[in-house]
Amino acid sequence: MDDPLMLARLQFALTAGSHFLFVALTLGLATLVAWTQTRATLSGSAVHARMTRFWGQLYVINYAVGIVTGLVMEFQFGMNWGGMSSLVGQVFGAPLAMETVVAFFVESTFLGLWIFGWGRLNRWLHLALIWVVTLTAYMSAFFILVANGWMQRPVGYEMRDGVAHLTDLGALLTNPTAVLAFFHVGFGGLLTAGLFMAGVSAYHLFRRTAEVDFFRRSMRVGLVTMAAAVFPVVVFGGMQFAYVQPTKQAGTAEAVAAEAGFAARFGPGDYQAPGLAAAGEAVMTLVWSLLFLLAVAALVKVPFGRWLVRGRIFHVVVMAAVPLPYVAMLSGWVFREVGRQPWVVYGVLTTDEALSDVRPGLIAGSFVVFTGLFAVLIVVNGWLLARYARRGPDGARLGAAPPSDGAVPAALTPTF
Amino acid sequence: MEVLAVVMLAVFTVGYLVLAGADIGVGMLLPVLGRDQAERRVVLAAIGPFFLGNEVWLVAAAGVTAGAFPGLEHHLLEGLFPLFAVLLPAWVVRDMGLWLRGRVDAAVWRGGCDAAIVAGSWALALAWGALLGSMLVGGGEAGLNAGSVLGLPLALLFAVHGAGFARLRSAGAVLERARRFPARYGVSAVALVGVALAAGSRLPWSQVVSSGTGLAATAVMTAVLLPLLLAAQALVWWTFRGRVDSPSYL
Repeated sequence: MDDPLMLARLQFALTAGSHFLFVALTLGLATLVAWTQTRATLSGSAVHARMTRFWGQLYVINYAVGIVTGLVMEFQFGMNWGGMSSLVGQVFGAPLAMETVVAFFVESTFLGLWIFGWGRLNRWLHLALIWVVTLTAYMSAFFILVANGWMQRPVGYEMRDGVAHLTDLGALLTNPTAVLAFFHVGFGGLLTAGLFMAGVSAYHLFRRTAEVDFFRRSMRVGLVTMAAAVFPVVVFGGMQFAYVQPTKQAGTAEAVAAEAGFAARFGPGDYQAPGLAAAGEAVMTLVWSLLFLLAVAALVKVPFGRWLVRGRIFHVVVMAAVPLPYVAMLSGWVFREVGRQPWVVYGVLTTDEALSDVRPGLIAGSFVVFTGLFAVLIVVNGWLLARYARRGPDGARLGAAPPSDGAVPAALTPTF
Repeated sequence: MEVLAVVMLAVFTVGYLVLAGADIGVGMLLPVLGRDQAERRVVLAAIGPFFLGNEVWLVAAAGVTAGAFPGLEHHLLEGLFPLFAVLLPAWVVRDMGLWLRGRVDAAVWRGGCDAAIVAGSWALALAWGALLGSMLVGGGEAGLNAGSVLGLPLALLFAVHGAGFARLRSAGAVLERARRFPARYGVSAVALVGVALAAGSRLPWSQVVSSGTGLAATAVMTAVLLPLLLAAQALVWWTFRGRVDSPSYL
């Protein structure tokens, strides 16, 4: 634990890993909330309006924790990985800039408007807001995966005086390790959110809720989303194997050749990916198989609404399966990122060289602070999600009329 | 291209300090502006619709820094590591206090969230004061220096700015209390802009700038999109232009 490189890596892994947990649900749930609000706005049906508020409430709780972990991550690049910004920052920084300016700025601004503008804005404008939020959330994911895809498979750059310069923006943006990963993660998010929605609905149906119509509809949306996403996830995941780094799978002829090549160029060292990467791959594949079986069972049941309401064993299975996409996501991510070691940018910059020239005590101190903080955030987020999920539709505060004490609200007085 | 990128970074940084400076200031003055938990919720309703849209200015500034001035990211974040190690947890604690306060209906929970908001806002303002002070004194040499301490009074500028904002947005008893501060939003905003530009002018821009495609892509894209981003923000300002006297979602 006194190795600053290991601490810095672990800190980034914990930050990115916890951020990723929230993002997966946020991406998928935003889509499902936008879809539900569209149905509510088009048909004017009360049940869809209530569904929008209930699932929107869970989405907003989750988003708030996702955003703060993301903020910390953006700054950690510069704090702990100073070598990265000086050597490859001219390439790596471009997609990060695009993410904030093209996507995140509008996403967050409009999300605030969506939350606080409930009941104040024209309903079509309000609907447009959630779609813009959803679209920009996906754009955000795309640009981040462009940055990450470049770390896996650097393209469109040249080295001049030991510093990487961007030469081909198009190659950077169409890098297969970015584009395929985007669809893989996007469908993974839908799978996560679909199963989350189905699991929460199953809980209420299992408890013989009075809100049968509400949760039967929600369960159907969740299961159909999950079943529709499960196959694209594996297709876009599998396509990425064509671009997987040779050293990720130890012992193959390509791996041995690549390790010898690195040793010749960068000096002797251990260029083999840690065994943890292969473990991540195995867990991801296993969990996906379970999800596939569940998707088949769901497809059989979905056409029969009464079966969804009554199948108590199925309710338990669906509830138990809610964590599975998270396990698959995290282990797939371990496979991708740990399998890149010892490189930050594959074949260009090692993690050791990228580490900031900061006193080890500072890195250790910030590790303790941020790890403690994130542990609290994850627990609070999980607890609040469970609490609001359990309360059901009437507990949603999002979009609720403000609690009035009988006082008539004052007329709007423009101030700026 | 370098000039365009510097202007874009200045726009986002100044935008953050002026807009978010106000909601940080309101957080600092929360116990003064609102005497009990119900009043404090109304105080928070004044910044509610804005704080999310305010902090994105800093995220965008960090993004433009990463894209156009990768050397600066290295220079500032590594050189002033201890200040950022205060700034970031303070930001997280404050934001969580804001987001979560209204989610559990219990006096202890609200009290804890209020404490998180106040402590987080003060720590955030002090970290910004020390950061700006260090840049003003140190210039090209990023690191803790005399300015890190001299900058601390700048935190009070955030508080005054927050009071100025509360005078524009609040009503009733909260407004009366905000009026006791000799604060004008416009005046403190100009002061914040001045400090930010003075600190920025001391940085060694030509040493930290990116080059070629990476720089051009970042600078041009940001400049092209800026009107759209401003329009999105203007929609928020217009929608929530009135005074508040009742709680909101927070």
